[in-house]
Amino acid sequence: MRSIMHVNTAGNERLTMMAFSLPENPLRSGLRLGRTPEPCTMVIFGASGDLTSRKLVPALYNLARERRIPGGFSVVGFARRDWDDSFFRQTLLDGLNANSRSGRAEHPLWDSFADGIFYHQASFDQGEGYFGLKERLDAIDRERGTGGNRVFYLATPPESYPLIIQQLGAHGLAQSSGGGWTRIIIEKPFGHDLESARDLNAQVLSVFDESQVYRIDHYLGKETVQNLMVFRFANGIFEPIWNRSQIDHVQITVSETVGAEERGGYYDKSGAMRDMIQNHMMQLLTLTAMEPPVAYDANAVRDEKVKVLRAVRPITPADVVHSTVRGQYGPGNMGGSPVVGYRTGKGINPESQTETFVALKLFVDNWRWAGVPFYLRTGKRLPRRVSEIAVQFKTAPHLLFDDTPINDIEPNVLSMKIQPDEGITLTFSSKVPGQGQIRPVTMDFRYGSSFGVASPEAYERLLLDCMLGDGTLFTRRDEVEASWSLITPIHQGWAAGPPQPFPNYEAGDWGPTAADEFMARDGRAWRRV
Amino acid sequence: MTTDIARIERDLQDLWKNNAVESAAAGHTTTRALTVNLLVRADTSARADEMGAVIQQLTASHPNRALVLIDRPAVGDPQIEAWVQANCLLNVLGATQICGEQITIDSRGGHAGQVVSLMLPLLVPDLPVVLWMDGPQPFDLPLLHKLRGVLNRLIVDSAGFADPLHELVMMANYEAHSMLGPKPLSLSDLNWARLTPWRELTAQFFDTRPFLPHLRRLDHVEIDYVAVGEGGLLRALMLAGWLASNLGWELQENGAVRTGDTIQFHMRRPGVGAASGDTRPVLIALRPAPSSDNALVGLSALHLRAVDNILADFSVEQTDSPTCARTVAQVAGHPTISRLARAERAGVADLLAAELRLLSRDRTFSAALQAAAECARALDT
Repeated sequence: MRSIMHVNTAGNERLTMMAFSLPENPLRSGLRLGRTPEPCTMVIFGASGDLTSRKLVPALYNLARERRIPGGFSVVGFARRDWDDSFFRQTLLDGLNANSRSGRAEHPLWDSFADGIFYHQASFDQGEGYFGLKERLDAIDRERGTGGNRVFYLATPPESYPLIIQQLGAHGLAQSSGGGWTRIIIEKPFGHDLESARDLNAQVLSVFDESQVYRIDHYLGKETVQNLMVFRFANGIFEPIWNRSQIDHVQITVSETVGAEERGGYYDKSGAMRDMIQNHMMQLLTLTAMEPPVAYDANAVRDEKVKVLRAVRPITPADVVHSTVRGQYGPGNMGGSPVVGYRTGKGINPESQTETFVALKLFVDNWRWAGVPFYLRTGKRLPRRVSEIAVQFKTAPHLLFDDTPINDIEPNVLSMKIQPDEGITLTFSSKVPGQGQIRPVTMDFRYGSSFGVASPEAYERLLLDCMLGDGTLFTRRDEVEASWSLITPIHQGWAAGPPQPFPNYEAGDWGPTAADEFMARDGRAWRRV
Repeated sequence: MTTDIARIERDLQDLWKNNAVESAAAGHTTTRALTVNLLVRADTSARADEMGAVIQQLTASHPNRALVLIDRPAVGDPQIEAWVQANCLLNVLGATQICGEQITIDSRGGHAGQVVSLMLPLLVPDLPVVLWMDGPQPFDLPLLHKLRGVLNRLIVDSAGFADPLHELVMMANYEAHSMLGPKPLSLSDLNWARLTPWRELTAQFFDTRPFLPHLRRLDHVEIDYVAVGEGGLLRALMLAGWLASNLGWELQENGAVRTGDTIQFHMRRPGVGAASGDTRPVLIALRPAPSSDNALVGLSALHLRAVDNILADFSVEQTDSPTCARTVAQVAGHPTISRLARAERAGVADLLAAELRLLSRDRTFSAALQAAAECARALDT
């Protein structure tokens, strides 16, 4: 959309303002921080919930603290609870003090930031709430210079998404007047299977254009996940070996120590496949397997990710027995203390068949990866919290060194740790000084110690990118549907099979023994992470 | 007078072995990491200790091999001695020490050639070489001349210049010449680095689409600087130079004027729109302000204005808070946007770390410095 306004001044200088693409600000040249977004209002639906006070507002405050967002930036919390501006601000301050990576709020700064925070009490299903919101937003535009720029953040249960989207459209809130922009951020899960994801996409796109839609997967906001692309494509030495000729297999692990805990009601309808594999782990898979994009822009990068998803060999319902393992934790011990099993958790069906552990074997059928298995595993109540991508290379083609019991010649492994202790480790063999032995050693790069700066939280990066209009780290429509098209047949296969003998692993173990057998059949083993 | 290089290297190896044993006993691991050769010149032992403390903080972001030269006049016969130490910081988890190493060379009366012959073999190969000197201008020091061939970057602090305007011009001349020849040398000034929050807050006004056109229409700039100590005038000059170099402003002939305490620079800028090809006047005024504990890095306010029929007024000002500035944007047809923004006073280690992240010449600094020097020269004549 393009608009041009000419303004005459007394000195005959014509002031021409173009709203097509933002011209460069010459004062930004040489400044290490990139362009800041224009002032806007972020409307958070479900603002009285946890996500707002624990993640979103701390992220926004830290962005403001680091001079990444401009004056005039405003927040409107839209929720049913009988709160007002003052109570909402205090609630957010309490959440910030407990959760911000920069520690407690600095008061003059917080007070100035909080001047732009407002609360709008309304129900999602009532039209007058949206009329009132429109008036509120127009007033903020007039008073705080937000120029019609809006971000709608759906921080609600997924079942509320269609209603809110429809109401936004019906009340003229999906498009801005006067040259502003409107965007919508939708939290995961985006649908619970392929059909529902398509339906939700259709509903969103009946009101918004795809360019306005930002489907969030907070893993993409993590510095270490972003570093995957830098690592692969800024270093010339890795690309020649990043293929089937040199790589034996890839293991992607996301293990959690927590149980379903307070999220039982949601988790029991979801399970590990929907909660982790469909979104976070598919992101890790695509970033590991993708071709170099032609440019580092949103569509070029997402095009390559979708190509990977389309190349993944589908696991049909009949194949699930051979290509997947499911598990559910029973009582056990974590960190020296006993914990209950999944089925006794709050809101969980005592006969639940929901999986808390999944292992999968996938193949990416393209020239780069043909024949290289990608093993994915994720689970709750596992001994350590780790997210890691490990690329195991083929062993040396001809071993010069005697393969005796005192030599420990392991294949080279490049492991990229997403959390905790973020960094990259390369394992290679080295001679033990003074002896004729060979042992594996590691070469480490650790994010925290190498740069000496605190990494921003994932939400900081993502919220800033949305305000800047950069969709690179958000999921596109076709990416979501391609991912579901792989996952849904697996669920169908599981549903068609007999009930599982759950629980089948103890809390504190590394998953069911079937997961180890699954790897052993291929002559491989899970990494000890 | 000799100092044994091989002994120094052996001492370093012993240092690491002992450190590893002690760390293991204390439950840490130790990582020796080096990302840069940092040469440091101090003229007293006390100053060397202060700079050493900064180097230790720098280990967190830029673990280094530091060669700290205490360069003092002789007392009796010239003497040089050297000793080694590790600079270690525990990471935030308290489990891993990140360590750099420091070799201190105490020279009493050693001339530049002797000292450099000791430093050169101690440089770690394949790492950049950075020389940090503070105090008065160092550009005609023999030590700098001797080290010129191995240096990648020279870091100075013009806040310590004894004759600010004159030495700023020297710095600009040195900077211009340092890029010539087979091995260009990049220059950094910590006094310029202190301007970063001001520059970011100023630039931020014009990231907003309706405000950007006013940037080219500015015709009045006032910079209030703290006149006592800490390089306030030079910072004000460099801020003015930054605006001028980025916006195409040129100093008019005889355009530098002192009016009482205020320094004015009369410039011309390109016209905008239908009047392009024409030029317009711009006035930059530097005004001394009272000193204050909360003085924001030696400046207290920056006002930018376009004063023709469309009001556009942008300001950044210090506040009572030592870490916050107030920014205000008033543009006709738009609500006034006023807010507090964080504008921290960075310590020397943070300033150094920011400069060490630069891998090549800072062209923005270079352009701003040359423009500031032109203004300083004009004041002098």
